[in-house]
Amino acid sequence: MQSSSPKLRPTAWDSLIVLAVIVLAIGTAIVFYGGLGGGDHITVTITHRGETVEKVMLEALNEEKTVTIDGTYQLTVVLSRDGVWVSESNCPSQDCLHTGTVSRAGQSIVCLPEQVVIRLDGKSDGPDIILG
Amino acid sequence: MKRTLSLLLCVLLTLSLAGCAPKEETLQIFAMDTVMDMLAVGSEAREALSASAQEINRLEALLSRTRESSEVSAINSGKTVTVSDETAELLQRAVQYAALTGGTFDITVEPLVSAWGIHTESPKVLSADEIAALLPLVGSGHLHMDGRTVTLDEGCSIDLGAIAKGYASDRVAQIFRDYGVEGGWVSLGGNVYAHGTKSDGKPWSVAIRDPQNTAGAAALVGLSNQFAVTSGGYQRYFTAEDGTVYQHIIDPSTGAPAISDLLSVTVICGNGTMADAYSTALYVMGLEGAKAFWQQHSADFDMVLITQDNILYYTPGLQGKLTVDEGGAYDAKLLS
Repeated sequence: MQSSSPKLRPTAWDSLIVLAVIVLAIGTAIVFYGGLGGGDHITVTITHRGETVEKVMLEALNEEKTVTIDGTYQLTVVLSRDGVWVSESNCPSQDCLHTGTVSRAGQSIVCLPEQVVIRLDGKSDGPDIILG
Repeated sequence: MKRTLSLLLCVLLTLSLAGCAPKEETLQIFAMDTVMDMLAVGSEAREALSASAQEINRLEALLSRTRESSEVSAINSGKTVTVSDETAELLQRAVQYAALTGGTFDITVEPLVSAWGIHTESPKVLSADEIAALLPLVGSGHLHMDGRTVTLDEGCSIDLGAIAKGYASDRVAQIFRDYGVEGGWVSLGGNVYAHGTKSDGKPWSVAIRDPQNTAGAAALVGLSNQFAVTSGGYQRYFTAEDGTVYQHIIDPSTGAPAISDLLSVTVICGNGTMADAYSTALYVMGLEGAKAFWQQHSADFDMVLITQDNILYYTPGLQGKLTVDEGGAYDAKLLS
């Protein structure tokens, strides 16, 4: 009776699999930990009665962009690299005008009567929640 | 070499498995006349947010003053009505808060709130005579309760607007616990509940809005498993033709918009309903009244008071949690 243990020698295929695991692991970790730059992008999302009407990255704006919301009330929203503000509104509360310019991730402008939310998202060292 | 390679692979796989962390879900709804944002982290985060939205909508249907089918509308109809246990309990708490705060929080101020209409599209400046005619309708003594049976005196009406969102935040907190939400927060139009911590174990960072520059923050406070509510005249107001600004919080003792030396009041505690009621009451009380009230009830809550003369007062429970920009708009002072 002959006892023998098979000799396992890595082949080129094994190396390929190891390489694939390494690439996938690094790739997943980079995505999860938010690497590869892009840290300061701020995306502006404007929703009107639950529907997204505009979504744009602030830094992608080369000039001021105007978005008009037309419903029971009319709002004019101005977007620029420096921030976002409501320039005109005929809603009764005028809270959206009073809010002024928002430019940092986490900030928002809300028009309750017309159910418009202008929200800035992105990486930020700022607060998680704004109260008041 | 093989060991090194194996170790390297293990580390990399561990890193990649970090991507399997509990999912973060967000939800935004319009309810109770405000916009509400919620965030939850956990394996059942989506279900928790969905259940929270349903609960908020249920409470609005139950407690709204403007919905004809609500129990509050039934009470305001002037008939004797039998309400749910939940509504009865909330009314009892409202009456307790009115007694505790010396009537600076009072759900029976509704006739004056409606007459001023500051939260509506057609606000009106009331004359002294008009106020005098409505003031006798204000006071918890007009609300008669026998268990779940409720009757209001003729001409009186109630509005739970200054307490309903706080109560809703209490209910959402319970739903978050029921669904095992690991961390998250809800912001119900000026009512915040911070649940657990962020994924890095730090408390949630809450910015108290600067009442004089509403795009900025007056202070930052770290919160975990706590409720925070801010009341301030800057939140809703209207400017009359003569340029006078009338803010939305009505002083139940005068029947007119409160004339406060405070710009905003933030109450932080372990109960959303209490935080909601107290923030309104303390704003009406003004600086000295709010300080005196806190000294009597300091075990129940912490607070941040921002005054007309740019001082930000905070209570000892917030030491180490509150950050105010040095050289910023407000001088921070610790109350004792």
